[in-house]
Amino acid sequence: MQSAIKIDHLYFRYDKEYVLEDISATITDKEYIAIIGPNGGGKSTFVKLLLGLLTPTKGKIEIYNTTPDKSRELIGYLPQNIHFNLDIPLQAREVILQGRLSAKKRGFSDKDFQILESLAQNLHIAHLLDKKIGELSGGERQRVLLARALATKPKILILDEPTAAVDFKTQKEIYQLLQELNLTKIVVSHDINILLQGVDRVFYINRKLYIHEHIDIDIKPKEGHFCEMELFEQLGGEHACNH
Amino acid sequence: MLAIIDLFGNSLIAAALLSVAIGIIGSIMLINRYNYLAASIAHGSYGGVGLALYFSLPLLLSTTLFALALALLLAFLTFKEPKRLDILISVIWAVGMSLGIIFSDLTPGYHSDLLAYLFGDILLVPSSDLYYMIVVDIIVLLFTLRYFHYIIAIAYDKEFAIARNLPVKMIHTLILVLIALTIVMSIRSFGLILVIALFSIPPFIAEKLTKSVQAMMVVSGVIAFLLIVAGLWIAYFFDISATAAIILLASFIFLLFFKGSK
Repeated sequence: MQSAIKIDHLYFRYDKEYVLEDISATITDKEYIAIIGPNGGGKSTFVKLLLGLLTPTKGKIEIYNTTPDKSRELIGYLPQNIHFNLDIPLQAREVILQGRLSAKKRGFSDKDFQILESLAQNLHIAHLLDKKIGELSGGERQRVLLARALATKPKILILDEPTAAVDFKTQKEIYQLLQELNLTKIVVSHDINILLQGVDRVFYINRKLYIHEHIDIDIKPKEGHFCEMELFEQLGGEHACNH
Repeated sequence: MLAIIDLFGNSLIAAALLSVAIGIIGSIMLINRYNYLAASIAHGSYGGVGLALYFSLPLLLSTTLFALALALLLAFLTFKEPKRLDILISVIWAVGMSLGIIFSDLTPGYHSDLLAYLFGDILLVPSSDLYYMIVVDIIVLLFTLRYFHYIIAIAYDKEFAIARNLPVKMIHTLILVLIALTIVMSIRSFGLILVIALFSIPPFIAEKLTKSVQAMMVVSGVIAFLLIVAGLWIAYFFDISATAAIILLASFIFLLFFKGSK
């Protein structure tokens, strides 16, 4: 299988302490990876490094044999919810079309509008296209943003917390949609349900990377409540769970 | 009636030309949340006024160059020191004003027109300023038509725009440069201190009334023009400062919309 992403002894720090340490991995073409881990463990930093938004302190990343900043147009990206300006009077269709913009393309062609219509049909969001983005529910907005990421026609899809602030039904829909997409997929999630969605491998990141090839983890609630930390312990973390 | 229109003379033309810039640049400022950056450029530009007085330079030229220098400095700092930007904006704001005050103090004689630069008077806009306004309006229109989709993509989600390799730094820098030019073109009408209110309030109201940024720009420009004309009438009938009347009227309507939008 062709490798999509190669990570070789990657280190990163913002200040003195390393946020990510000695990370090496290869992600093959069309592989579906779930990235989980505790807050502040380095998940979002890892994604930003893949996107070329940050530069490694040591080590290197190759995406289809080139550096991340030169391969951005191969990646469809859905950022975390927190970045968006929801006050802008902007229709959902305009947001999706933003995925067709690039450094060399500042307008839209007929083909772009066809892609928009097709994505709207496939993601069942045609009825949302004329609505203001700020007036959509969390789940509707995520589907629009997923359409924007797919509008880039990516080879790799990176989603940062796609199911944050959405209801259970929408979560299921998003996961089902992801399973149907024949792309390299990397999903960062707090939601441990991601582990049950047919992912090929789990990357547990807490400063270091722990790769799990087979998902054989008990994520059922114990004594009436589920302990996320217990799962993290099973995946390689150093947390204690206080029942 | 005709006598009143004649009295307003240049101010009505200035109102129309300013409304174009307010509609477009004010909306871009608001959707990018650049109002604080713009206020820093506006107040800091007083340094350019002080330099013009001290070195006997043409006011528009001196203030334009000074405001452009501030805009470029702020654009650079936005990317170089994003975590300290707030404090840097405040310092640039204060340094610019202080330079203006010191150069004015060092200039011999009494400068009654200084207040006009701080608070403005749309009734005293000279014809030469109208040409400057036309040129700035044309630049603003050309920029917006060329880069409209980039502007709104960056305003909505800067991280996605960077990830798509859009020219985020260039667009950010050009926006600040245009904010500097539009502020300078408004100095004699609204003054450095009050101008930000007029660039913020009509776009805020328009944002609540429209479903697209294009419509927001047009509606914002129309609201700005109506506010200026209404303010001029109020000033005429009550014999009060036109600029203050316009800003107070705009602020009153802003409060109504702000309360309604909560």
